[in-house]
Amino acid sequence: MAEIATVCPFCGCGCGLYVHTRDGHAIGVSPSRSHSISQGRLCLKGWHAHELTDNPRRLTQPLLRRNGQLVEVSWEEAIAAASRGLGEIAQCSGPRAIGVLGSARCTNEDNYVLVRFTRGTLRTPNLDCSLNIQCLPELSPQHRGIGLAASSGQIADLDQSDFILVVGDDPTEEHPAIAARLYRARLRGAHIVTASLRRHTLARLADVHLALRPGQEARVIGSLLHVLLVEEGMAREAAAELAALRASVADLSPEDTQAETGVPAETLRRVAQLYLSSQQVAILYSTGLALSPVSAPAVQALTSLAALSPPAVGARVVLLSLLSRNNLQGCRDMGVAPEFLPGYGQLNDDAAVQRLAQAWQCELARERGLRAWEMLGRVEGMYVMGDDVIRSLPDMARTRAALEGLKFLVVQDIFLSPAASLAHVVLPAAAFAERDGTSTSLERRVQLIRRAVSPPGQAREDWRIIADLSGAMGQPFPYRNARQIFEEIADLLPIYAGVFYASLEVHGGIRWPTLEAREAQPGSLSSGVTDAAEALTRAAARDTKMKASEQYPLLLTADPTLRPWDGEVTVCQALTLWEEFTVVDRDYPGGMLCLHPEDARRGGLRGGRDARVASTKGERQMRVRVSDEVPEGIAILPYAQAAGSGLMEVSAHPDTGRPVLMPTPVSVAPVQ
Amino acid sequence: MKNPYLPELATIQRVKPETYDTTTFTLRLDDPQARAAFHHRPGQFIELSVFGIGEAPFCIASSAHGRDTFDISVRKVGRVTAALHDMREGGQVGIRGPLGNWFPFEEVEGKHILFVGGGIGLFPLRPQIQEVCRARDRFASITVLYGARTPRDLVYRDELEQWRHQEGMVCLLTVDVGEDGWTGRVGVVGSLLPEVRFDVSRGVAFVCGPPIMIRFVTQDLLNMGFAEDAIITTLERHMRCGIGKCNHCMIGDKWVCKDGPVFTYRQMKAMMEFEE
Amino acid sequence: MTARMVPHSRVDEFVARLMEAAEVIAPRRVEGGDVFYGPISSPAEVAWDYGTAVEPLKRLLVPQRETVLRFSVNEGIHVAAEMDERERVFLGVRCCDVTGVTVFDALYGGDIPDPYYMSRRQRSILIALTCQQPPNDTCFCVCCEAGPFLTKGYDQQWTSLPDGMLVEIGSDRGLTLARAHDDLLLPAEPDHLAARYRLAREAETKFSDFRSYIAAAMRKLTMNEVLPEVWEQAADRCLECGGCTFLCPTCSCFTVTDRWEGPQGLRERHWDACLFRCYAREASGHNPRAELGDRMHARFFHKISHQWAQRNGRQACVGCGRCVMTCLGWAHTPAVTEGIRRGVIP
Repeated sequence: MAEIATVCPFCGCGCGLYVHTRDGHAIGVSPSRSHSISQGRLCLKGWHAHELTDNPRRLTQPLLRRNGQLVEVSWEEAIAAASRGLGEIAQCSGPRAIGVLGSARCTNEDNYVLVRFTRGTLRTPNLDCSLNIQCLPELSPQHRGIGLAASSGQIADLDQSDFILVVGDDPTEEHPAIAARLYRARLRGAHIVTASLRRHTLARLADVHLALRPGQEARVIGSLLHVLLVEEGMAREAAAELAALRASVADLSPEDTQAETGVPAETLRRVAQLYLSSQQVAILYSTGLALSPVSAPAVQALTSLAALSPPAVGARVVLLSLLSRNNLQGCRDMGVAPEFLPGYGQLNDDAAVQRLAQAWQCELARERGLRAWEMLGRVEGMYVMGDDVIRSLPDMARTRAALEGLKFLVVQDIFLSPAASLAHVVLPAAAFAERDGTSTSLERRVQLIRRAVSPPGQAREDWRIIADLSGAMGQPFPYRNARQIFEEIADLLPIYAGVFYASLEVHGGIRWPTLEAREAQPGSLSSGVTDAAEALTRAAARDTKMKASEQYPLLLTADPTLRPWDGEVTVCQALTLWEEFTVVDRDYPGGMLCLHPEDARRGGLRGGRDARVASTKGERQMRVRVSDEVPEGIAILPYAQAAGSGLMEVSAHPDTGRPVLMPTPVSVAPVQ
Repeated sequence: MKNPYLPELATIQRVKPETYDTTTFTLRLDDPQARAAFHHRPGQFIELSVFGIGEAPFCIASSAHGRDTFDISVRKVGRVTAALHDMREGGQVGIRGPLGNWFPFEEVEGKHILFVGGGIGLFPLRPQIQEVCRARDRFASITVLYGARTPRDLVYRDELEQWRHQEGMVCLLTVDVGEDGWTGRVGVVGSLLPEVRFDVSRGVAFVCGPPIMIRFVTQDLLNMGFAEDAIITTLERHMRCGIGKCNHCMIGDKWVCKDGPVFTYRQMKAMMEFEE
Repeated sequence: MTARMVPHSRVDEFVARLMEAAEVIAPRRVEGGDVFYGPISSPAEVAWDYGTAVEPLKRLLVPQRETVLRFSVNEGIHVAAEMDERERVFLGVRCCDVTGVTVFDALYGGDIPDPYYMSRRQRSILIALTCQQPPNDTCFCVCCEAGPFLTKGYDQQWTSLPDGMLVEIGSDRGLTLARAHDDLLLPAEPDHLAARYRLAREAETKFSDFRSYIAAAMRKLTMNEVLPEVWEQAADRCLECGGCTFLCPTCSCFTVTDRWEGPQGLRERHWDACLFRCYAREASGHNPRAELGDRMHARFFHKISHQWAQRNGRQACVGCGRCVMTCLGWAHTPAVTEGIRRGVIP
């Protein structure tokens, strides 16, 4: 019997836990008390992490599609088929006809080797992770506002914060370890302000809740800046740098905002007062913002808020970007993105490219590549590692059709995911607790994942599969174990400089950048602030009001913070965990349509009864849930249900071009 | 130590569809010793295993008298019941039981016996009806009131016909919603209660059906003058062990599998604070 | 039965002897720094100075995931069960956790004993280790008759005195064990026993800061006088993680799953929690406790109602404080108890 210390594979918090093993089987999980993030706590998912092993639904053999069916084959056959399929496309149509998706739930080593395979062996620049759609431009190296392409602070900062602003996140659903800190902060007197679409659980307990109706995020936050900069004259000494920002919010008075959005002026002023009287401010934001049509200006406005410390002496502001997945941060750090190199090096930085080319002994594809959603319909072949692309992108039907239309699709995963069931080659991977490696949490904490039991059947580590495939395609990789790969990462990526394996072997790992790396990355505040000013000005000029009509009186809005794990493959295939994450689908067939009590009453709709929901795009039957957490005039669906409903308009975001689900006018009528 | 989780093997003898979604399975324990030891009384239930799929509780739907087999009637609602519905004669299942308590019998001799069943609520009542009928002269009277949602949902039709025409008992049927060809009564089963003609102070009512039906019918019975101890029902709950260990069926401090599934209304009242 | 003493210098020897006859389960530090009860490979591993273990003994008596049946198809179905038959000594167990085993004995024993539990339990010797000060700042065993010193429920109870470990005998099994190693033991002097009682009284006063006033809450719960808002507040503060249930020494709920692996199949049971939405949900979709507030009500009725205590020999809560440590929100036993008493949870 043994207890293996490792890290939870689910959300981005990075909780420490122990896997209990007996006779080579993982028979349970305990929270780690000594770990600085978990502190003796785990959420429902973490408690059942062991159910990914000894699980009859795991992929255990490579599969090849023959006569329309997936049949079990040997590794040799599968690798040969993958090599052939990809090679043929590269030969006939060029490497850019291939797209690769990396993984926010695989390890850094897996992603790093995948990047090398993609840019070096396949020579295609079309590399992305579908969850990057949740990551805003401010996380890209172009954003120089805080000098780091990630959270500026750490989770422990919440323990000293006396003002905590939570924007677009429902921590009780998405980041329980952070929710735990917020519940305790509240009890010791910290002021909590939430700003989100729904008045969720934490919002009910907060000091102030700002209701953010769709498309109003930038407006509301800009108005807060107005109070701080114009009314309260904050940071007057930085007048020159902040002139552009001040000008961009000059017209966003709280009274005008109240008229436009319904958020009371005195509420905004109260929030500003709380902010100004704080010693340490924490600002938390997540996917709720990222997937909104007006997100970028909102977050850029937030980061500029971070640049403005409260006037109290020695006061501090930290930003936490609440990434949804355990290794989304690490996936990006390793360069799984079409617009930067591993470590966020610029594609046009010859020195950076040269360093990699030298280490990898090959030429690299260094053009700007396609994003995940841009690949659909534009590439002929795809390689998908541990990525839930059908679930992450806003139009499920379109994504599925695009995958079905590919000439060649290879999927590497632990379960037969929806994408895997469409593939020509399926490669079985080792899961959490079956392999060694590292992952990087939302606060840039790099931690060791430890192997506790063997992978089932023929399943292998992702990096090993890719290394074999690269070898079959003429570019063998010299990697023998995960540690060796990590040491190469720490050597080549300046942001991981100083992250030695010895420091990772301490429970809780270490956050990057270490002191050495910090010196190499000077930040510049003012440029971030200017970006924000420009974005806000553009947003204000754009008509972002989504209008309902008499025929379609409610605005159907996708909420990525509502039951975000429902339908996700690793929880839904777990042995007992699946029940809690599919019960909503079973209790609300067709979709859980959440309505405000007044809207329900007006429409003759009752909780637990079916309704016909119609937009200009189509019609669908769903079941109603009545809740006062919903703003009036809005109908809410969990994001994944909205993406699969076929009811919502999908548009390209004006600033970033990413596809977003636009709030869509709908009619809702009871079904007899 | 006996292992109460270890099922006995049983073979399906007969498969008889009752309605579009309910089927009666006649089962026989394989091992003669197990068969001989299987003494069950009306109201009790068994845990049935479809090996590899799961285990679920089912009330025993037949009287033990003169049989070495027993019936369960099953509606197809979930994984286990769906798998069971795919099985045929000769199929092997696992049985644990009989479990739970049972309907009073000797204790209610001499009384007027009223059965009120709704939909599949007739399943657990059937063995009690059979035994009470067999000992007809030990009871003052027998009345069976049964209702289903539509005519297609009526179960045990052959027996209903038999009971309707049986001497010495009254059996009335109704459906909530009629259909073409239905010439019988239309209305909820509670609407049949005014037909009860006996002295309720000497009456005992056995009620079983969906939770809403139980709630309304017990209210009607109380209004008619039935004592709280004279209204007897059987509860259904999600179960995982059937022997008071997994605790899924607990209501307050009572286990439906051990303290029930048969409860009087007085006992149920105390338990209802915990539920909607 | 007269008490004994093991001089400190001979404790390791005593433990080594225990290891010759059985698997010794004791508190030990694992990589990462936490203390868990688990098998030791040498007497030096025992963390005598520990606070509380991350988990109670539950995992060693009822694993989080356990195979209860195996079946196979070979001209008909064959079903078999295996029992764990290892002889074990549980050494250095905190009194709250020993009391947890007492509750488990009532729940898993009774008129229909659970053979998997009994097979392990009957082969276990339980040696308690008393607390002379609160091992952490969330304990409240003094409110639950579960410590810091016990008068029953153990085979032996050890108290650390300057001269050595005082060994109180609590059962025939404890006596047999003491007699078997009589050459290592000394008789306990009256001074030793007096010291033990004095330490117990002093320890209780040190715990008084952590009173949870369960008795007052028990009265309200038992009489069904708890304001309904309290359960709504509890629901707002509960994240349905199951941690309190999984770490509670007296929570025993489980669920069962079947699966085939080719021609072999198995039935497993897994820890479950009454707080989960699907816990009471029936296959038809009917859910008698669809509201989290109702589930919280049911949970606390089990933990601290008079009715439940009457049925099972004592109240369920042992005051180990693990729910306080592990709650992601603020819905643990002391918090909800306060809510029950005062009508509001902070």
